[in-house]
Amino acid sequence: MLAYLVRRLLAVIPVMAVVVTVVFFLIHLIPGDPVSVMLGPDATPTQIEGTRKALGLDGPLLGQLLGFYGRVLRGDLGQSYFLDRPVTTAILERAEPTLVLMACALLVAVAIGVPSGIVAAAHRGSIWDRVLMIGSLLGVCVPGFWLSLNFIYLFAVRLGWLPAAGYASLFSEPGTALRYMVLPAVSLGFNQSALIARISRSCMLEALQQDYVRTARAKGLSYRTVTYVHAFRNALVPVVTVIGVTTAVLIGGAVITEIVFNIPGLGRLVISAILRRDYPVVQGVVLVTAATYVLINLGVDLLYAFIDPRIRYD
Amino acid sequence: MARRACWLRVLTAFAMVAAFMIAPGPADAQKKGGVLRVGNLGEPPSLDAHWTTASITETLTNHIYEGLFSLDRDNKPIPMLAESYTVSKDGLTYVFKLRQGVKFHNGKEMTSDDVVASLTRWGKQSIYGKALFAQVAELRAVDPLTVQMQLKEKSAIVLISLAVPNNFGAIYPKEIAEKFAPEVKVTEYVGTGPYKLAEWKPDQYIRMVRFDDYKSRNEKPNGYGGGKTAWLDEIRWVPVPEVATRVAQVETGELDFADDLNLDAYDRLKGNANARPIVSKPYYWLVAVFNKKEGLMTNQKLRQAWQAAIDIEPIMKNVAGGKKEFYRMDSSLAPAEITAWHTKMSGLPWNEHNRDKAKRLLQEAGYKQEPIRFMTTQEYKWMYDFALLSKQQLEDAGFNIDLQVVDWATLVKRRNNSKEYDVFTTGMGAFYDPTHHIYLTASWPGWTTDEGILKVQQELARETDPKKRMVLWEQQTRQFYEKVPVIRYGDLFGLRAARNTVKGFNESVERVRFYNVWLEK
Repeated sequence: MLAYLVRRLLAVIPVMAVVVTVVFFLIHLIPGDPVSVMLGPDATPTQIEGTRKALGLDGPLLGQLLGFYGRVLRGDLGQSYFLDRPVTTAILERAEPTLVLMACALLVAVAIGVPSGIVAAAHRGSIWDRVLMIGSLLGVCVPGFWLSLNFIYLFAVRLGWLPAAGYASLFSEPGTALRYMVLPAVSLGFNQSALIARISRSCMLEALQQDYVRTARAKGLSYRTVTYVHAFRNALVPVVTVIGVTTAVLIGGAVITEIVFNIPGLGRLVISAILRRDYPVVQGVVLVTAATYVLINLGVDLLYAFIDPRIRYD
Repeated sequence: MARRACWLRVLTAFAMVAAFMIAPGPADAQKKGGVLRVGNLGEPPSLDAHWTTASITETLTNHIYEGLFSLDRDNKPIPMLAESYTVSKDGLTYVFKLRQGVKFHNGKEMTSDDVVASLTRWGKQSIYGKALFAQVAELRAVDPLTVQMQLKEKSAIVLISLAVPNNFGAIYPKEIAEKFAPEVKVTEYVGTGPYKLAEWKPDQYIRMVRFDDYKSRNEKPNGYGGGKTAWLDEIRWVPVPEVATRVAQVETGELDFADDLNLDAYDRLKGNANARPIVSKPYYWLVAVFNKKEGLMTNQKLRQAWQAAIDIEPIMKNVAGGKKEFYRMDSSLAPAEITAWHTKMSGLPWNEHNRDKAKRLLQEAGYKQEPIRFMTTQEYKWMYDFALLSKQQLEDAGFNIDLQVVDWATLVKRRNNSKEYDVFTTGMGAFYDPTHHIYLTASWPGWTTDEGILKVQQELARETDPKKRMVLWEQQTRQFYEKVPVIRYGDLFGLRAARNTVKGFNESVERVRFYNVWLEK
């Protein structure tokens, strides 16, 4: 187990190196430059050149890349051009909103997805099955921003039940924070629940057709015990994989939700950084997101062993 | 004699009390206190007024800092931190007397040393500062409250340059102005304005609080200048990048004010009992800027053909969402709000939509259907809309337009490289002096290097007689329509929204100001 862990962790290094290099070139390949954006529409080319020099943007690309490698090895992600602070600080400031949103959305996604998948599978072909699966189809199809804007219009503007947008820290004002979190978590979670529901349903169906389920029934166990204890546990492995993937997607993929609901998270940070060509921030966020992604996958792999004792890594 | 003076004093006192008692209601309705939450579209690149021309920086920094001059309601310069000024007979020496007892947010009193250090820095970085300092021989402190500016040649732009609100000559404490090189942005924000910066959390908010030691001018509020009162305890600027969210948050009362809204929100806001829409003008006149350094559009006939071909009204109507409230047809290079420079000239080849003339000019230009690279962006919807509509009209007249839609960062980078485009879209905001119209200069993208135009620009910078300047400006306007350095479309207006509790907001300035604004809650 330990050897497996070490092996997996070591494999992270080349992955990260590739990610860093690709991201560096991608962002530098898109035309545009941070100084022209920062100095505003009326700035003259001479003004722009002067500031580019002051920021060290006039050097050759390869030199900039090597400098970036060097800093990353020392744990320094550089300085944001736009925000006047180290990238690490900028990321840490925005980690909390993203993590809280991710946790809440995941909670909603699992709370909707897993039960509806199981109920649909247990009552295959029934009206319940159809209603739930049409619901999950909608979840996949409806664009996130459309759902979000309609939620805002209905629940904030029309009914006035919840605030339209904003963020408060869960640790300093938990009550307000939760009110702010309801709409984004539900709209994001609803989107993500669809995949979980579909996977849960098909895994449950597969599990319910296994021999041991028939045996359990034959032993005289109740329908409930067979479905929710025996079959469910065995259907869980792929579901956990999907939940893991969803978590990783939510880390960097809640961009639209963060923008619409004005949550100062990592998704919004990276989008504005791309639009402003704030290269160090883009590189930093992608690096951190990629690392998290890899670690979540590792965590999911390790979790399998607990859910299914037949899985061993040695 | 002494007795009479005494009586006079008593009489004056009575008169003042009486005047106060019969003064109209609004004056005593003003209320101190409250937090004003303002939603705007993003983060400022900096709060250094000298450093960037970004409009969001202009809006924010004008609450923190002040310059020697400001603009009145007719957009003419009036003293702000300056008490008074004199100009020598030969027009080469300006002496500025500063107001006494003006304090910085750090408690230090403002003196001529601060003014000299700040303006020197501004003169090296700001577009307006650079233009002015090209004419300045020396700037020095005469005594703690007097600054003298010695010019190399007669100049018409001294006061107006010190008064423009954009990229402006904000007065910082000397220590800060000298600590940061002009091309490096200031990161310590200390001014003399009615509000001081309390906290800046990027992507969350910028908090400004009342500066209790603010020394207001005694005049009434006047345009951007005059007396300023900080009624509000705090202004909280909240970046809300999604425009639909900004509208919703004004409707729910989460924001008290929202800037830069999409015009389609107008009807919805009009129907709201607790908020009201505000049409903001001047906003921008839409413009297609030609690359006159290299490529197809160096051909003047081709530029004239473009000018002859387009039918501006349907374009403007479409960009303004079909609403008459949001556009204006005008050929003057200065918008109607800049009364001093607004021209009413007839017979200009503006909005001719004469397809035959366009075709003839295309032929004379020797144009052979080469694709013209027209660069625009969807980040500003109005730019994309007017570019798309122009493309259709131009192609009907025989042009071949290659519309290149890129993001804003790409556009502002590419437009500096003469090899990469033929035309680009942008908007022209308020310019307060003829010499500030950047598209008539050789240094701004598009590069207007026409000798005739530049010569008149130079004369405008030197000529100090307002009447002669107006004659030159009309001459410049005629030149503009003949040489066509850029295409002037119509005026587009913007949309803002305020809750009904927001009182005292001055709707007739280009960018928002919240001094003299109070909340009735």
